[in-house]
Amino acid sequence: MAPVNQELVDLFIARAEAVAAQVQRLPNMAAALQYAVDVCARKAPCELLADEDVEKGPDGPNKVPTRVQKILAAPDLPDADFAALAEACAAQGFACRRDGLRNHLAGIDVGLTTARLGVAASGTCLTVGDNEDTRLAGMISETHILILRASEIYPDLPSIAGQLRDRMAERPGSYTVFITGPSRTADIERVSAVGVHGPLELHIVLLEDAHV
Amino acid sequence: MSNSEKLGSESGYHKDIDSALEDSFLRRTLDTFAVAYRANREAIFKEVDERGLIRQIADAKDDACRHMEELYTQFRAEAEKRGVIVHRAATAADANEIIARIARENNVKYVIKSKSMTAEEIHLNTRLEADGLVVDETDLGEWIIQLRHEGPSHMVMPAIHLSRQQVADDFAKATGDPQDTDVQRLVKVARVQLRRKYLRADMGVSGCNFAVAENGSVSTVTNEGNAEMVTTLPRVHVVLAGLDKLVPTLDVALTALQVLPRNATAQRLTSYVTFMDGAGDCAASPTGKKIMHVVFLDNGRTEIAKDPIFSQIFRCVRCGACANVCPVFRLVGGHRMGYVYIGAIGLILTYFYHGQDKARILSQNCIGCEACKNVCAGGIDLPRLIREIRARLVEKNGAGLPMSLLSSVMKNRKMFHNLIKFASFAQRPFTGTGRDNVSYLRHLPAIFLGKHQYKALPAIAAESFRDRWARIKPVLREPRMRIALFSGCAQDFIFPDQLEAFVKLMTALNVDVDFPLNQTCCGLPLDVMGQRATAIEVAQQNVDAFAHKKYDAIVTLCASCASHIRNVYPEILENSPYRHQAETLVQSIQPFSAFLHDTLGVTAEDFNQSGESVTFHAPCHLCRGCGVTDAPRELIAQAANYVPCEEEDVCCGFGGSYSMKFPEVAAQLLENKLKNVQATGASRLVTDCPGCVLQIRGGAEKKGLPVRVSHIVELMAENVRSRN
Repeated sequence: MAPVNQELVDLFIARAEAVAAQVQRLPNMAAALQYAVDVCARKAPCELLADEDVEKGPDGPNKVPTRVQKILAAPDLPDADFAALAEACAAQGFACRRDGLRNHLAGIDVGLTTARLGVAASGTCLTVGDNEDTRLAGMISETHILILRASEIYPDLPSIAGQLRDRMAERPGSYTVFITGPSRTADIERVSAVGVHGPLELHIVLLEDAHV
Repeated sequence: MSNSEKLGSESGYHKDIDSALEDSFLRRTLDTFAVAYRANREAIFKEVDERGLIRQIADAKDDACRHMEELYTQFRAEAEKRGVIVHRAATAADANEIIARIARENNVKYVIKSKSMTAEEIHLNTRLEADGLVVDETDLGEWIIQLRHEGPSHMVMPAIHLSRQQVADDFAKATGDPQDTDVQRLVKVARVQLRRKYLRADMGVSGCNFAVAENGSVSTVTNEGNAEMVTTLPRVHVVLAGLDKLVPTLDVALTALQVLPRNATAQRLTSYVTFMDGAGDCAASPTGKKIMHVVFLDNGRTEIAKDPIFSQIFRCVRCGACANVCPVFRLVGGHRMGYVYIGAIGLILTYFYHGQDKARILSQNCIGCEACKNVCAGGIDLPRLIREIRARLVEKNGAGLPMSLLSSVMKNRKMFHNLIKFASFAQRPFTGTGRDNVSYLRHLPAIFLGKHQYKALPAIAAESFRDRWARIKPVLREPRMRIALFSGCAQDFIFPDQLEAFVKLMTALNVDVDFPLNQTCCGLPLDVMGQRATAIEVAQQNVDAFAHKKYDAIVTLCASCASHIRNVYPEILENSPYRHQAETLVQSIQPFSAFLHDTLGVTAEDFNQSGESVTFHAPCHLCRGCGVTDAPRELIAQAANYVPCEEEDVCCGFGGSYSMKFPEVAAQLLENKLKNVQATGASRLVTDCPGCVLQIRGGAEKKGLPVRVSHIVELMAENVRSRN
């Protein structure tokens, strides 16, 4: 396990928060999973942006129906972690999904995925979206939670060129995304607004341990 | 009238500029943006080595341009290995046809797009819609302008010209429901409306910021996340990329990514940067794999790549910064500052991608202030390239009788100077004296001035500096330095008193001045009007005029002359027999304040402190053209009380012949300048260029502002303590 560079971690947090990401430092995976369940419990039910054959609640702020049963998706978790998460979700009455997200393109409540590494200079997470469900979890969720190991934070973009290259070579047809804050626009009168297509909120869980 | 038609006629274009100048929403928006952008950009670049990164991008993109064919071959091989079909389109029509065919072969009905300036370049939507396809833009700004059937007014913020009220009206029409004007709500309308469009789409079309040859990957840079949706949900993905988007390695892309978002929107990085390396999993596709095509567009690019001067346009990363800092864009907006591509780069790309008919008038609308060159992510010499286009247009089409006449007069110094003297005689019935005993053209009937009425025009001096020279030439026994003066036309013939003040100042500082009489116009006005051959001729005459004696320095009180001689002579004399001979003049020429401050090293000891409140205007050609920024401010403080002014280094609107061509724009630039000057409360403004004096003094005189405008040399000469 690589040592944690506290200076880089502090810079990463400052820069991520500067673009409206919410950063949490947590000791281990169990705490991260609990955090995701708590976030899902706290948030208003997801709005259905398209038709889906599912039980619908009252209209949300954008005058479209909401989900009655919340969905938390975590496609890239290891088996044991997913099992633990699914159990916690069941206790709360949430659906916990590992795949099949194309059935829920109208929107899900929380997407929980892991980041490969972080870039301190811009508060950026590098994510692996080769698997369509993993990619969708970060796109169609209202709240996207990324889990990042504190020991995997690097100074700036040039310092990760080699890792990006290796990452892209893992398989043909790879899909790699740098994420820096939630979906954002300033296209109307240059007024900043989040959530134009993707997540309304981005949370980053910084894990102190190495077992992601 | 369509944008395309407006660009075809002088009157249509000027009418369009007038209506933009009257659009108070547009003016307010672009003003706020210009001021905010400047501050935000400066702050966000403090964390990185701006100049170093720009240099790296320029070098890497120049290298990519030289190896475009190899990179294309390598990209194609790597991408094909990963299941991607690569196409190459020679023309815009070919690219449209290829994409239309891909749609046909895959039974596509609905197309969804993320932002692509290249798709705008080839008018892809029009072509696909002609085939009965439904095409939806997903970038919020692009969607808004699509609903309005307009083109983008900025490369990064395509709908910056629109108000929330206009957007609310468009959304109300699109949804059939009345819409709130709250921006947060409007953004969510797009969220709801566009999600359904993603879901029904069979084919996604994206642009491409980087096509990385080493592994055949394409990269998109967005804030909204729409590119991720467009490239993930439909079964077919078509990438449209200009050949200039090819880069050899990921490292180059990562370097450029440190500048592109900073320059575009003052962000450290955009919310999403995606690298797609091959056809990946896609549950919507019958094979389970994405049907992925990359279409490379040539449309003249391979020819440009071979051009020794213009190949540098491929350093452009489409950040839009050249528009963000352009004083003309700020006044007239993007629809008059480009065709599809906007800003300084837009003027150039229009010429190459959309033809000279659309570029002819457009290429005139650059004031030459160099603000764009100063911020360009690839260090492109944009003002120079715009001048080159003018030269090519003149070479190809001629320049019309008045220009050709002027050009032939300028070739002959004596004829040129005699003509000015005749004008000085002929104007006499029309001149009058303003404040400070400055002579103005007072009595011209307004009808002759037309749009030029916004400032008082100075009269040509009764006696030029060159005619005074024999009488006033000082004789120094043991001068500390021997210099030559390059006068420039404005000071020789309109403001000879500024040069007399210079001679007085130099005498007091024990510096010997020579004035070689064979010097003529520096040639800048000719070059900006595309009169390249005559510009070269007068340059050669000037090289000759200064070749006979050795001087410690050659000084000019005109920053425009200094910048032109220093920066443009080496370019235009590159293939001239005068190339080597020109080096002395080019290397010795110094703008006045740099000479006085840096070379002579004057201090507060050399001047009486007048106590006067003096503010400063930084001439474009001084601060950006010659890189002289601190010297004049420190000089002012040595002789007076220096009061800083807002936007000191924003163009005053003179721009030489620009203010004759676009008086409506020049007048507004001057208006802004005077507003800022007035706010300082200073009783005097000095600057280091006669053109700026002419413009700002003329404006202050016309408005009757209690601000005296002079050349900085006059302030220094008034307060110098004699060494003799």
